[in-house]
Amino acid sequence: MVTVEDYRSDFENEWCPGCGNFGILEAMKAALVDLGLEPHQVLIVSGIGQAAKTPHFLKCNAFHGLHGRALPVATGAKLANHALTVLVNAGDGDCYGEGGNHFMAAIRRNLDITLIVHDNRIYGLTKGQASPTSDLGMPTRIQPEGTVSEGFNPLAAALALGAGFVARGFSGDKAQLAMLIAAGVRHKGFALIDVLQPCVSFNHIHTHGWYKQRVFDLAAEGHDAGDWNAAMAHGRQWGDRIPLGIFYQEQKPTFIDRIGMLQKGPLIDQAAVAFEL
Amino acid sequence: MGLDRTIVIGGEAGQGIQTVGQLLAAACHGAGFEVLAVNDFESRIRGGHSSISLRVADRPVAAPCRRIDLLVALDARSEAVHRPDLAEGGMVLADSAAGLDESRALSFSFDQMARDAGGKILANTVAAGACLGLLGAPEDHCRKIVRQQFEAKGDEVVTRNLAAFAAGYAATREERFKGRIQAGWDLAPRRRLMEGNLSVALGAVAADCRVGAFYPMSPATGIMAHLASLSGRYPLVVEQAEDEIAAANMVVGASFAGVRAMTATSGGGFCLMTEALGVAAITETPIVVVNAMRPGPATGLPTRTAQADLNFVIHAGQDEFPRFVFAPANPAQAFETMIRAFDLSERFQVPAIVLVDQFFNDSLFTVADFPKPPEVVRYVIGDADMVDPAAYRRFAVTADGVSPRALPCRGKALVVAASDDHREDGHLSETIEDRRKMVAKRFAKLPDMEAAMRPPEVLHPDADLLLVTWGSSRGAVREAVESLRGEGRSVGAVHFCDLWPLPAVHVAELLGSRPFVTVEQNFSGQLGRLLRAQTGLAPGGSITRTDGRPFFAEEIVAGIEKNEMT
Repeated sequence: MVTVEDYRSDFENEWCPGCGNFGILEAMKAALVDLGLEPHQVLIVSGIGQAAKTPHFLKCNAFHGLHGRALPVATGAKLANHALTVLVNAGDGDCYGEGGNHFMAAIRRNLDITLIVHDNRIYGLTKGQASPTSDLGMPTRIQPEGTVSEGFNPLAAALALGAGFVARGFSGDKAQLAMLIAAGVRHKGFALIDVLQPCVSFNHIHTHGWYKQRVFDLAAEGHDAGDWNAAMAHGRQWGDRIPLGIFYQEQKPTFIDRIGMLQKGPLIDQAAVAFEL
Repeated sequence: MGLDRTIVIGGEAGQGIQTVGQLLAAACHGAGFEVLAVNDFESRIRGGHSSISLRVADRPVAAPCRRIDLLVALDARSEAVHRPDLAEGGMVLADSAAGLDESRALSFSFDQMARDAGGKILANTVAAGACLGLLGAPEDHCRKIVRQQFEAKGDEVVTRNLAAFAAGYAATREERFKGRIQAGWDLAPRRRLMEGNLSVALGAVAADCRVGAFYPMSPATGIMAHLASLSGRYPLVVEQAEDEIAAANMVVGASFAGVRAMTATSGGGFCLMTEALGVAAITETPIVVVNAMRPGPATGLPTRTAQADLNFVIHAGQDEFPRFVFAPANPAQAFETMIRAFDLSERFQVPAIVLVDQFFNDSLFTVADFPKPPEVVRYVIGDADMVDPAAYRRFAVTADGVSPRALPCRGKALVVAASDDHREDGHLSETIEDRRKMVAKRFAKLPDMEAAMRPPEVLHPDADLLLVTWGSSRGAVREAVESLRGEGRSVGAVHFCDLWPLPAVHVAELLGSRPFVTVEQNFSGQLGRLLRAQTGLAPGGSITRTDGRPFFAEEIVAGIEKNEMT
């Protein structure tokens, strides 16, 4: 039986003490154990940023690639071997900014992966610039008069693009987050889990306490995850009350299901065919 | 001088010029002649000016010829553009060939004849028929070719096109034309017609490439279209990416996960892929990238040809890393080069770049059957090859710089790769020791990589002057060399397919003792500068062309004569 201990990495963790990433890391381990997956059965792909360092801090196969480019790498890996269980750890700047086009394309493909976005609404590794999810008007060192762009709403965007699994977690609620990640991995198709997390070094507005006072569990209020309109309404809900949980889930053919060649099995396992002119 | 005819068909985009070209090429090739068909078109779907130049000969031809024996002008502009290149005794076939005496011009209402045959859309087939009538092609043979060309579109289309062909053919078969091909219609094709694009795709499947990811860009799109058409016959998936950045990263992901993968693009797309080239390099993930060159910078001339990305692809990417660069000359070499690129990329775990160009990609060549490809060797290991899979280190330091490569989720060994520099186990490290170790390890591959490079191919090595070229300009250069030698000049030709790492020892042996000039389609003579940088040997000059059209042998000859290079 796989245990959380099997995922323990002795590689020195590089995050700031108190970072929301720790909660996400522990929730991931708990989810992978819940799924009965051993470290060698998991591939984690990431881009660049504090979130993207995640695969170094647990045991797994890992491709820690370029800023914004985790999803295309994951797409290629699934094309080559769709038996792989692929999780992607990305940051808000990484995924919604630099990798915005890939985010849209991965949803449209219904790529069967689990995307965990560590959404701290700020750039951490580059020391405190606005991210796509920063609120309009939030002052930063680069934007002293406040940001001039509307914040990006990943849940509403994902729903609008037809994503089949849209969820939000909170790094301060590890049990629920672990449940969401496990559900995302079990979901056949693209699963987005946007995770609210504090940045203890650079985001002094959206603190652990700020979230704690506002978040609530959608499931506890009877939300129907099959109701797209209700999901969209909750996706736009922000302020005094911030919903967590599975906003929307719909099973539909995945990227792999739609490619005839792959119905014979993973490409990597298919027999070679001798060349003929 | 044996048989050598050039036929040019010009018209607007949308008039079906390429169909005429394909019909003529198939008819002449099917009759046993050597054929080269070169497409010249603008970046538009309708209007403008397009042409196809068909060279028919009794010996292999690999470059277009400027001198036109038969010009078929489907619009007035085509006649104006091409008439200056009409050969002595050449003929024009046009709606109205004003200003030429009757022996050199046939006025011909393509549109009217097409309407009579069943519709204006058939004008291109009428033109093909008229050409074949003038050339003296046997009628039954031509009808068979027309049938083959259109049979996929159904009986009605075949019937209409046969009627259009017959109208054109009947109108010209009795005309006197100095360029008529009197003999050789023996109807025994010994080789096959192939587009450059296709040879690249065939090489990829022969190398067991299983994932192709790309974003459409002229003149590379044809490669991926051919690759897509091969999916199903071979275990291969072609995915159209959201952009070139994604395409290159998909290739990296597919290769990391364990299958051979490639992308094809042109210079602008290659710019976007440069970042991924670096990630392939630092994660030591094999990838093959085909850059089908066109003139730049930026959008440049989208549908024209160039050889101006050599400097770029050798140096593309921040910092430095080993890579392979190849530039095949023709379909046979492209087929073999793709196989070698996949093999060497995987053997050394470095990116391999194959340079082709628009002229090569979009032209039809007469090629011999390709040899049986070698057995594909995968340079990967599994748990069974390890003493302790738990101790596996993806970037273990070895004497030759190549670390045993395991694949993720194929055993207990964990495979960790990062775009940051790293320790031997793939985890991030910024220590002086690890950085030095990894830089040294990556570059330790270079001597063996260089040893794997083939020397340039040489024709008449003892000549007084060598014309040095690379990629698809080989055909024009060889033709120029033969022509110059016919005039009594002592010249030879050197062709580089394997460009990087430059096989410097061979270069020094070959070029160290005699003068040479480079012939290439860029402004600064990039190969010449590269040779000088790597060997200290300086070319005596360069013959260049930068206008987006392929070299003619005669302009290379003129360049040598004008500069009194011999």
